[in-house]
Amino acid sequence: MTSSSASGRKTLSKIACNRLQKELLEWQVNPPAGFKHKVTDNLQRWVIEVNGAPGTLYSNETYQLQVDFPEHYPMEAPQVIFIPPAPLHPHIYSNGHICLDILYDSWSPAMTVSSICISILSMLSSSTMKQRPEDNDRYVKNCRNGRSPKETRWWFHDDKV
Amino acid sequence: MDSEDDMHDANDVESMDDDEGFYSDEMGMDYYGSDDDVDVDFGEDNEGIKRIEASRAENNFIILKESDIKQRQEEDITSVSTVLSISRAASSILLRYYNWSVSEVHEAWFADEDKVRKTFGLLKKPVIQLTSSRELTCGICFEAFHRSSIRSAACGHPFCCACWEGYIRTSIGDGPGCLILRCPDPSCGAAVGQDMITMLVSDEDNRKYSRYLLRSYIENNKKTKWCPAPGCEYAVNFVGDDENYDVSCLCSYGFCWNCTEEAHRPVDCSTVSKWIMKNSAESENMNWILANSKPCPKCKRPIEKNQGCMHMTCTPPCKFEFCWLCLGAWSDHGERTGGFYACNRYEAAKQEGVYDETERRREMAKNSLERYTHYYERWASNQLSRQKALADLHQMRTVHMEKLSDIQREPESQLKFITDAWQQIVECRRVLKWTYAYGYYLPEHEHAKRQFFEYLQGEAESGLERLHQCAEKELQQFLSADGPSKEFIDFHTKLAGLTGVTKNYFENLVSALENGLSDVDSQATCSGSSSKNGGSSKAKGGKGKGTSRAGGSSKNVDSTGMWTCEYCTYANSKHSTTCHMCHHQRR
Repeated sequence: MTSSSASGRKTLSKIACNRLQKELLEWQVNPPAGFKHKVTDNLQRWVIEVNGAPGTLYSNETYQLQVDFPEHYPMEAPQVIFIPPAPLHPHIYSNGHICLDILYDSWSPAMTVSSICISILSMLSSSTMKQRPEDNDRYVKNCRNGRSPKETRWWFHDDKV
Repeated sequence: MDSEDDMHDANDVESMDDDEGFYSDEMGMDYYGSDDDVDVDFGEDNEGIKRIEASRAENNFIILKESDIKQRQEEDITSVSTVLSISRAASSILLRYYNWSVSEVHEAWFADEDKVRKTFGLLKKPVIQLTSSRELTCGICFEAFHRSSIRSAACGHPFCCACWEGYIRTSIGDGPGCLILRCPDPSCGAAVGQDMITMLVSDEDNRKYSRYLLRSYIENNKKTKWCPAPGCEYAVNFVGDDENYDVSCLCSYGFCWNCTEEAHRPVDCSTVSKWIMKNSAESENMNWILANSKPCPKCKRPIEKNQGCMHMTCTPPCKFEFCWLCLGAWSDHGERTGGFYACNRYEAAKQEGVYDETERRREMAKNSLERYTHYYERWASNQLSRQKALADLHQMRTVHMEKLSDIQREPESQLKFITDAWQQIVECRRVLKWTYAYGYYLPEHEHAKRQFFEYLQGEAESGLERLHQCAEKELQQFLSADGPSKEFIDFHTKLAGLTGVTKNYFENLVSALENGLSDVDSQATCSGSSSKNGGSSKAKGGKGKGTSRAGGSSKNVDSTGMWTCEYCTYANSKHSTTCHMCHHQRR
């Protein structure tokens, strides 16, 4: 892994490495529908292609998720963002940050990248309106100079979408 | 600021004392007037006060040490565990959710046990059936482990000990949320209690968890709070009513239960918060700038004029020279405008009313600032005196008492009257301090109340000064003496007497202020109705003032037609010609 990609972050612990290798293996055998892992040699940052589910507002659209793992994964949640352009969604900011509780407060080490992907796809699929969050401009402005969404104190708007 | 006037007011008000009924007889307000004889039975008095204090303290609050807190918590957990027949860990979780109210737990549980179990993750049986194989896969690291190395909450979801430890440690590190920990499986929600935690994590993490549990018992309970004094580890359990919120911790810090500010009787919580806000508020600075500065007419920077003549020169780079009064260029000034120290333009313009608006605003701000400063200074200086008295009390306890005990050959227990006096001084300074916040918010237009208030405050101040003087200065001679002296007994009598009297006075002051000086309101009605009851009250053997004053019989007849006997003061019906009581002829 290159130092530039993991800018300032600590390398994965042994536990994290083992777990990620297992997750990757499982992914190759049984990938979640609609997702494709882009193969790199970097275990600490995964780039995943998302295909909008057929019959939803995002069908035939493709987006890219970037998943960065902290040193103490899975005790700590990974950082998950869309690489801009991010899908137009009431819970996804234009800088790619996602307002989804399991990525922050409700993370549990029993979750996996695969389960995160399924949650995100379900979030996209249940959307009835293609629009940005109301506070998009203010939030994105506050996030300049590369703040992680994990430093945001999220206020989870609703659990319908 | 108005101290001269206050003195006059004070004298005026004094005359109403007798009718006022503000001072009870044993208060010995007269004592402040007569210097020498201390005829207060201080021994008995002090006993009484202590008893009252003790009972008040017992009624209102209980100070809890860490061991007390633990014991109470244990008892509550035991009680719930016994009544509901569930584990102690489960009881603890339920109590945590119901803010440590045993009765609420009982109520909810017996109303709908299943609902409570479901909501808080207290499962009766596992939700998953594990295979019978000897190896199980941990739900976090996905490694296979022998059954014996796998642990589960009541739900049965299998995780290895290392992952459990990481999971719990992370949660403890995140804060008191660890007290309501659930199974790591996202769909599960089974509670993870202290029994599991004790088993799975290090001693240090267990200590942290216990700490959070203890803190929660105080912080999540409406009837308990930590003492806010820095470094103090005691908690207070408030069991009183909302009449009196003052509590005093074992660490000697006194605070208000309701707002956790320093104890502030006789002032109420909202006044205190207003006052504290005011002391720190930016608005006071703004008022100050407004009152004491003017903007430079050219560059508009505010300029404070602290002294000197009216010829102002703004600081570089502006350097504009102008007249402070009219804010015109100095170059326009000279003999023509009435000389350098009086600006005629200003005087003339003021007469025409040109400057009125801004000037008046500035004038008002200045007045209000002066008023505030007056009260603030006195508030702050009493605060300082209190700090000093606290330090002196400490010094007294740690150094002087032993020394004095040696010199006077008296056991320290016999010298307690000295520390009692100092404690009283500390308390009085506190009350006096807050009377200044009280005075600041007492409406200007309530003249009678203000006068009465200032009189009471003045008396309180001088009474306290006497006590302070006695405890500080008069004690010195005994501290520097070579051996026991006869005068020490007199000193004892005087200081203890002063302490009791001052205590009484301040207690009455506090209740008078807390009543909003309602005696002043009732005073008007009192004097109005006095003629009505005059007869009977005198007859009951009051002060006999009326009798000696009364010249003719007409004066002895009140509006109801009753007449008062000149000999025995009995109030007789208007029809009788001889006194019903002593049979003297009516005159």
